[in-house]
Amino acid sequence: MTRVAAVADIHVGADSVGHVAAGLQHVNERADLLLLGGDLTRCGEPVEAQLVAVELAGVEIPIVAVLGNHDHHADRADEVVGLLEDVGVVVLDGSATTVDVDGVRIGVAGGKGFGGGFAGANATAFGEPAMKAFVEETQREAARLQAALAEVRPNADRTIALLHYAPVPETLRGERLELYPFLGSHLLAEAIDIAGADLVVHGHAHHGSERGVTPGGIRVRNVAQPVIQHAYRVYDLREPAVREAPVAATA
Amino acid sequence: MAAEPQEYLVQHIQEALATDPRARELGVEVQVAGDRVVLTGTAATAAQRDSIGEVVRELADGYGVVNEMTVLSADEDGTVEELT
Repeated sequence: MTRVAAVADIHVGADSVGHVAAGLQHVNERADLLLLGGDLTRCGEPVEAQLVAVELAGVEIPIVAVLGNHDHHADRADEVVGLLEDVGVVVLDGSATTVDVDGVRIGVAGGKGFGGGFAGANATAFGEPAMKAFVEETQREAARLQAALAEVRPNADRTIALLHYAPVPETLRGERLELYPFLGSHLLAEAIDIAGADLVVHGHAHHGSERGVTPGGIRVRNVAQPVIQHAYRVYDLREPAVREAPVAATA
Repeated sequence: MAAEPQEYLVQHIQEALATDPRARELGVEVQVAGDRVVLTGTAATAAQRDSIGEVVRELADGYGVVNEMTVLSADEDGTVEELT
């Protein structure tokens, strides 16, 4: 039994002291690993990251996180990462880590991701420099995620892709369609399907839905706190009968 | 001066909610219904919900503000989803 607790979009600010910690009181008994899918702070201020660190002080299981768009707002993401790492949180940014739980090695590859929309209605890197920069940011995020997954998957019994932005539209159900291009990108799903994973966890879409699946059949869970309406969700990654082969998404 | 069209008012409110330090929230649904501005969505705390209402009241001159935002329920959920 490998139990993974996950939550995103906790948006810690000065007025939320104690709020997150109260919800994590029993996480050490209920899970083996805690994943945080970005938007840990309200505006990405280092003082808010310090508050996040305090909120997480009672968590004894390993914590793996990615940043979200809110964590970048103050343009001090490096300091936010440093403050989280100081208290033992592993912060992924196009990178991967492994956690050993009772002889089972869980690989987590993660990054923020970005927007652009989904197949059939996605942005393309054409035209103005600003448009190209927007799409290239997503392409870069997807490529780094794919590389991190490919690196960690051969060395892990279970692999999880951790994102802030959504890789599929199914977990956005409930959001206005006009917002989809700002909530995620199919390039992220394609990268995950090529490299392979057992579970994808993301946040960002507060009005979305919890459950979806990539075109290659990998389960996707939107754990934005307004979606799950709880402190976290727990997913039990059971023994796979047969390790699924990566799905070739391109001919 | 003619009243601001409702569509622009909604957009101005949403921009303010993203940028005003009291709010910093992108996930608020803003609707203008008659002479009222109705807010729905979820706030992290009761204080944030109230601050969001305050920001909107300052902008929506001449409108009543109905703040129907809920506060996040962040209690622990005992259920486990088994992914086989």
